[in-house]
Amino acid sequence: MNTHRQDFPLLRDCKVVYFDNACQTLRPKQVIEAINEYYQDYPACGGRSMHHLAAKVTHKCEEARSIISTFLHAKRKEEIVFTRNTTEGINLVAHSLGLKAGDIVIISDKEHNSNLIPWQVLRDKIGIEYKIIYSKEDNTFDLEAYKQALNNRVKLVSLGFTSNLDGVTIPANEIITLAHKAGALVLLDGAQAVPHRKIDVQDLDVDFLAFSGHKMLGPSGTGVLYGKYSLLTKLDPFMVGGDTVASSTYETHEFLPPPEKFEAGLQDYAGIIGLGAAVNYLNTIGFEFIEQQEQMLNKYITTELKTISGLKIIGPSDPKERGGICSFYIPGKDHHQIALMLDETSKIMIRSGQHCVHSWFYAHQIPGSVRASVYFYNTMNEAEVFIRELKKVVSIL
Amino acid sequence: MFCIIAFIVLSIIGIFNVSYRELAKEAYECVFRRITFRPCNTGFKEKMQAKLVGKLLTKSVAAARFLNKHFELLAWLLFITTVASIFWTGKGLFNFYMYGSCNGLNKSGFCALDPKGENNKVSQTGGSCGTGEGDESKVTLKGVDLSLFPSQKTDSKDEVVLIGCYSCDYTRKAYPLVKQLISENKVNYTFAHYPVKEETLYLLPIGYCAYKQDPDKFWQLNDKLFASEKSDIAKKEFVDTILKDIGYDVEAINSCSTSPETNSAVVDRRIQLEKTSVYGTPLVFINGKGLVGPKPYRVYERILKGWRFW
Repeated sequence: MNTHRQDFPLLRDCKVVYFDNACQTLRPKQVIEAINEYYQDYPACGGRSMHHLAAKVTHKCEEARSIISTFLHAKRKEEIVFTRNTTEGINLVAHSLGLKAGDIVIISDKEHNSNLIPWQVLRDKIGIEYKIIYSKEDNTFDLEAYKQALNNRVKLVSLGFTSNLDGVTIPANEIITLAHKAGALVLLDGAQAVPHRKIDVQDLDVDFLAFSGHKMLGPSGTGVLYGKYSLLTKLDPFMVGGDTVASSTYETHEFLPPPEKFEAGLQDYAGIIGLGAAVNYLNTIGFEFIEQQEQMLNKYITTELKTISGLKIIGPSDPKERGGICSFYIPGKDHHQIALMLDETSKIMIRSGQHCVHSWFYAHQIPGSVRASVYFYNTMNEAEVFIRELKKVVSIL
Repeated sequence: MFCIIAFIVLSIIGIFNVSYRELAKEAYECVFRRITFRPCNTGFKEKMQAKLVGKLLTKSVAAARFLNKHFELLAWLLFITTVASIFWTGKGLFNFYMYGSCNGLNKSGFCALDPKGENNKVSQTGGSCGTGEGDESKVTLKGVDLSLFPSQKTDSKDEVVLIGCYSCDYTRKAYPLVKQLISENKVNYTFAHYPVKEETLYLLPIGYCAYKQDPDKFWQLNDKLFASEKSDIAKKEFVDTILKDIGYDVEAINSCSTSPETNSAVVDRRIQLEKTSVYGTPLVFINGKGLVGPKPYRVYERILKGWRFW
């Protein structure tokens, strides 16, 4: 019995089978209560007003920053910049790093649009170049191709840590070491990695790490950009205005130090506090259990999927290499139809489509896929229901 | 094709349930794209197909498979039947408004707007009441000598003829409407008593003699006979009282009604009425068009006025 399910209102009565965790996870009552508490007990501005409610907001937000800093094993809490999501974190780096014409950014062929479009825009705007590292046959990262791509013009390596397409995790340590040797910085899109594995930013020596709160039990519209403090101080802020400056005259302004200079305007205090509560909750669960549960479920799902005639799994066939994600398609059968019918027959929530990785699907001439993504609160019983219903649906299509 | 049928169905359901309106909007977008010769790429059909098939899948795998396989064909069939039913519904509404029956003038089939067929009911010439079984298309005034019957003449070209029976419930229903029609419009009006029941047979010679004695008072007699209880007008003494009250010479009328000349005149009139192919009362002719059964007033008025009605 997975006792944590009781913390998730939607799961208490087994109302749904929620296998869309790569898009967004469910929230435990602890997170919901933290958000409610803000709105009910101290719904004020942080970092501005002097009254005690405002002071409490400031304290709670800074507490959340500390919790996240500790969670990532950052050197200091000022390395944690609150954003709305991973996309905003990547855009912040892309537009603040001071890239120039001719600079090269390395990405992979499986990047989420969040880590592809910003570079296309900068290519068109200022003339940067981006190089794509194509994955190997089994969709894992091609380290050799990466080594060959590195040169002194490469200013940034920007890669998805764990792919939302197939759940494959890149060898980040080696990639970062090689990038640093070549004089390049590394930005990791940690949206699918941070919620599922222990990340130690100091051990990784990663320069920037962007991730979202809503994929790790936190409120939607919350995210974090981790950046080495020394680098953050050098970056120009992406968005400016209220709360980013110490003072201003009609002619000049003086920016605050990081992270404030990047957090323009009134923040989502409830969200930030909720995100702190989510990280606290994840700490109590522990990544050992999370990984163990995900692997167990993905192993069962993968084994059963392989028995369905014509079904193709995207990525390595070994589920251990795909975390909690299992993305598949059946040529000739509509992925959206499969997802909709699973919802209709048994309230099974899965993702269908191109998962914001249109480029990869177009390149491989695959219309789309069905993606089942599990998390620690999912059970073997749910996996069995999913497989049983999927087989039924596939049999009539 | 599915988008069109979905748009129609969802729009109708959407009138009663707000949750279907969004779907109807989606369907409309799809239809709009189709009619502007663009592909319907909204995914609406796929979404709805999956929902419908998915719902059915919980009941029967075979049925779900069949629906999924023949979805487009079934959508076409549904579309055709929907268009046909819309057409027939529209035609039914039109007929009901125009003729008082969903099936058309004098057609006595089932009509949802007149489920008991009140607008087509007649007292059959055989004597039993109910929906007429005769041939409605054959009723006519051609060759009928209307000058033999009581009439109110004007200089109008319009003509209203009521063939009814004093003891027929349906004639009694139509009579005030016909009276209203002739009082509100300048028409030539002719009335003929066609006894569908034995007990009012004797009113034929009495009516003939009363009209002969005083045509003006005849219309009062007519009103009183239709206003009286059916059981009362079956009694000659009661009718005598009416005649007396109106101011008729009762003895003269009684004497007239038994004369051979009257008998011959009554037979002549029956022969004329048979020429109309009447099979039940009331039968109202308005400018030659025969209406069998008591129709709503608007029907009488519309046929009388023609285009002036609108």
